[in-house]
Amino acid sequence: MDIFIQLVANGLMLGGLFAMISIGLTLIFGIVKVINFAHGEFLMVGMYVVYLLTGWLDLHPYVTAVPLIVLFFVLGAAIQRFIIQPLLDAEDPHVQIFATVGLSTAMINLALLVFGADLRTTTGIGVRAPVHIGGVRLLFGQIMMFLSAVGLVLAIHLFLTRTFLGRAIRAVAQNRGAAALMGVNVNKIYIITFGIGAACVGLASALVAPMYPVSPTIGTYFVLTAFVVVVLGGMGSIQGAFLGAMIIGLVDSLSGYYIAPDLKEVVYFAIFIAILIWRPTGLLGLGKGSE
Amino acid sequence: MLLVDDVSAGYGEVTVLHGISIDVQPGEVVTIVGANGAGKTTLLRTIAGLIRPRSGTITFEGRDIGHLAAHDTVDLGVTLVPEARQLFPFMTVRDNLYLGAFRKDARDGMEKRLGEVLELFPRVRERLDQLANSLSGGEQQMVAIARGLMANPRLMMFDEPSLGLAPMIVKQVFEVIEEIVGMGKTVLLVEQNVFQTLSIADRGYVLENGAVVLADTGAALLKNDHVRRAYLGI
Amino acid sequence: MTTAASLPAATRRKSVAGRLGHPRTYVGLAALSLLVLVPLGINDDFIFHVFITICLYGALATAWNIVGGFAGQLSLGHAIFYGIGAYTSTLLLASFGLTPWIGMFAGAAIAAMVGAAIAYPCFRLRGPFFVLATIAFLEVIRLLSLHFRGLTGGAVGLMPPLRIGWEWMIFREREPSLFIAFGFLCLCLLVAWWIRNSRFGFYLVAIRERDDAAQAAGINTVAFKLYAIMVSAALTSMVGSFHAMYLGFVEPESMFSLTFSVQIAMFALIGGIGTVFGPLFGTLLVVPVTELARGWLGAQAIGLHGFVYGTVLVLIVLFMPGGLVSKFDKPIGRLLERLPGGRSPAEATVEGRAPLLEPEVVAERSAPGQVILRVDSLYKRFGGLVVTENVGFELKQGQVLGIIGPNGAGKTTLFNQISGFIRPDAGSVAVLGTDGAWHSPRAPHEYARLGIGRTFQVVQPFAAMTVLENIMVGAFRRHPNAAEAREAALEVAERMGLWAMRHTEARNLTIGGQKRLEMARVMALEPRILLLDEVMAGLNAADVKKAVELVRDIRDSGVAVIAIEHVMQAIMSISDEVIVINAGRVIARGEPATVVRDPQVIEAYLGQDYVHAAS
Repeated sequence: MDIFIQLVANGLMLGGLFAMISIGLTLIFGIVKVINFAHGEFLMVGMYVVYLLTGWLDLHPYVTAVPLIVLFFVLGAAIQRFIIQPLLDAEDPHVQIFATVGLSTAMINLALLVFGADLRTTTGIGVRAPVHIGGVRLLFGQIMMFLSAVGLVLAIHLFLTRTFLGRAIRAVAQNRGAAALMGVNVNKIYIITFGIGAACVGLASALVAPMYPVSPTIGTYFVLTAFVVVVLGGMGSIQGAFLGAMIIGLVDSLSGYYIAPDLKEVVYFAIFIAILIWRPTGLLGLGKGSE
Repeated sequence: MLLVDDVSAGYGEVTVLHGISIDVQPGEVVTIVGANGAGKTTLLRTIAGLIRPRSGTITFEGRDIGHLAAHDTVDLGVTLVPEARQLFPFMTVRDNLYLGAFRKDARDGMEKRLGEVLELFPRVRERLDQLANSLSGGEQQMVAIARGLMANPRLMMFDEPSLGLAPMIVKQVFEVIEEIVGMGKTVLLVEQNVFQTLSIADRGYVLENGAVVLADTGAALLKNDHVRRAYLGI
Repeated sequence: MTTAASLPAATRRKSVAGRLGHPRTYVGLAALSLLVLVPLGINDDFIFHVFITICLYGALATAWNIVGGFAGQLSLGHAIFYGIGAYTSTLLLASFGLTPWIGMFAGAAIAAMVGAAIAYPCFRLRGPFFVLATIAFLEVIRLLSLHFRGLTGGAVGLMPPLRIGWEWMIFREREPSLFIAFGFLCLCLLVAWWIRNSRFGFYLVAIRERDDAAQAAGINTVAFKLYAIMVSAALTSMVGSFHAMYLGFVEPESMFSLTFSVQIAMFALIGGIGTVFGPLFGTLLVVPVTELARGWLGAQAIGLHGFVYGTVLVLIVLFMPGGLVSKFDKPIGRLLERLPGGRSPAEATVEGRAPLLEPEVVAERSAPGQVILRVDSLYKRFGGLVVTENVGFELKQGQVLGIIGPNGAGKTTLFNQISGFIRPDAGSVAVLGTDGAWHSPRAPHEYARLGIGRTFQVVQPFAAMTVLENIMVGAFRRHPNAAEAREAALEVAERMGLWAMRHTEARNLTIGGQKRLEMARVMALEPRILLLDEVMAGLNAADVKKAVELVRDIRDSGVAVIAIEHVMQAIMSISDEVIVINAGRVIARGEPATVVRDPQVIEAYLGQDYVHAAS
């Protein structure tokens, strides 16, 4: 029983990590209707930036979150403006997929060129310190990640429902043409949204970097999980992504123990395929995956 | 107030409008009638800035708006209540109305205007916190018109507001439009419901194949032989 | 070729020798043979390796393109099939000493089956969701192959036993490998070329462009997409079998690699998706650059090739969305035409055929015959809205039934139910087949096969196909052979007044032209029942008159017609019977003259005030 509780706690903490990575992805999909196949590579780049900043300036990785959020907002906005936006009205919707897939490949290999294939570890004082809560042993960094994920979900929810800009963002997602007729500059909304989605990854990188060593292909590993989480929760749903992340976190933790460590991903990819095929709207999604 | 001069427009390689000229004076109700595919909706979308004209000019209160994007056109006080309502389906009616007031000039006094608009639409007031897609077709049309009013436009354009509604609801829609006219708004109305539309219009244009074939007062068009044969079925 | 259209079919088919005489063919073949001749000439190990890689990647990209390009199903899981081929032949060789020449067919069969099993549930997913699903399947298979060490050797991998010689596909020297790789490339190109120029390929492109319209043309879209993936998977697997022998080593990470899947797709995208030779061009552009760089820079260049692929892909997508072929096809084509055997300019200008034939003498119009369509109390609701309520009617052979009603009355929804696009909640549709039995078809293509042709209110041309090709998609229903379908389509094009624009891409037609094309494609199906959804909307008076005459001609040839029109005038003049629908219900039916005087009809159309004013 103790083991089970520990596993559940580990699963939820892992869920926090998955949520941090998935929120930006689902936001971008929900609004801009583009699946950013380079999302994982944003994280990878972010982790390298954290690694470099902590090394050069002797900063705590958490402090780097501030410049990273700004940097990634700009990066995301620029990618939307210069790569995605010209393709939004393309006759073949596949070209957007190609563009982000190409971007992803280029980024992975650029990292390979610059850093090589070796793992780089970012050190963060106190991040790996154990914290005991009622017999359950967790790491400080895990708790920070979980709390940040909860905070981020709440913040984005409030932003989307309570502010003029947030409402405009939702309006664009639901009916782009009508939003323009209300006076909303749709392209600007897309740029801002992509920026926010990328900024979420910036924040995530600062939290993930001191927990996991970075390598050029780490993004692929994380982004596949993020796809599972996002589809499970419902493409475009922020709360859904959080719920999906918790479920996948638990599945990962429990199946890794009770089934086999090397089959836990098979389990959640199986869930992923089942959801895609039988319920493409996911658990909380409003979008229609099969259309 | 609005001057459309020799405008051609279309989608992709296809030209839908061929050199259209119309004008709307302040306080007028002008209507555009024509068969499906004649280009009525394209004309409104072109004025609204959703489609760029290929040639010709569109001026509103003396300013060239032909090359403005839709959101900039709205900022000048031109609002289109689009065909098929086009509400934001997963937002509450209230949020839909707030979005109507997104344009810069309309944000101040938004709450006050909400009160005024709801006076016109008592049914909408009852539904404020429901999701827009849970409303009936008639209610959705009312919300769409209310949302248009929230922008406090000087020129209000309607695209087929009676589309797919039961005859009784159609009647209510026309009553609302007459009230809006009574508020002093200038109205440009596109409708398939030719008889009712021409009855409330000061002037009308008949569009066929993307060109204006007739222009006259509403009353005169109602008596016009061509209109009666082609659109009234008599 | 256009001048040949009026010649008898037998003389028109070009002989193989005739094709070879065309510069496009002989220059193409010469260029292709350079892939073998250049490395043989240089005779350097590294150059051999580069060209073998080009041939293999080119073959893989060409195979991918059959499903990714022609059928538009973007798979990023093709390494599954490649890996299956590699593992199957290696395991068969290692365990049973079976030569890969046979083993690769076993692999191909397995890959085709796995492809069908994976793709079938995924086809309802569109765009990025299909992509995600293929990635997920690839990941599952990779993880499973790592897990089941007993079979696959796990992460350690397997090595095919080192038996040298042609029968084992393993060689000490490079030449034989080059020949085999080149052979696979030619095989894939040949299959792709054949598909593109046959009914199969036309159907795939039609499905890619407009799934609904393809179904309405009688295409079982799911079946054809499955055939495409099976062919593609089998070819990919065979290349994988050989590649395993060439590499001498298989392991899950490189066999079932997402990166590798992406690379294959990239070559096709860069070269020109959906064209026969595009994938090879893409491979030719990027592989030499990156392989040479890898050769020169060695370990420093790790990642360089991927960086180049990715960057080139983004640039291509942004600035040349059709790939290299779209940009260079025409200029190169023009150059080629000047070579011996090309079309001389004088010949090229001889266009068109004899002026329009006299209209066929139409047989005496027969009285409406037996009932061939029974629609019985259909009922359909969307959410809270009842869109069809207890609608029923019968249609007789040679009859024109008009359906009118205000916008939003549910006319098109009704059409969708009698052509299989929407399943009614209650009620039935029965069609009298040519076999004399009544059928209740379920899917749109089954309706089409029973002889029901329909147009769409919002026209659905296969935008990237020419007018002629669009019509051919319909004509294939009766004429499976491409040459015969072309001939039939030309006749229809002429009859429908589309002759002059038969080589225009459908997307460049005016709305009127697209409407006519829509009709033409349906007529090419040679339907017995024709459903016309507002084909006259937006036409000018003269065109309406022509359309009315056309519908009459069609009726007189014995085809039953159901026509939806929004405006009464035209429909009144062609219909034998009219049904008026408002808010999903039939509010009046009968002869046109009676229906227009029905007060309920007048009110539905003109509003109550008008009724009062008129009375």
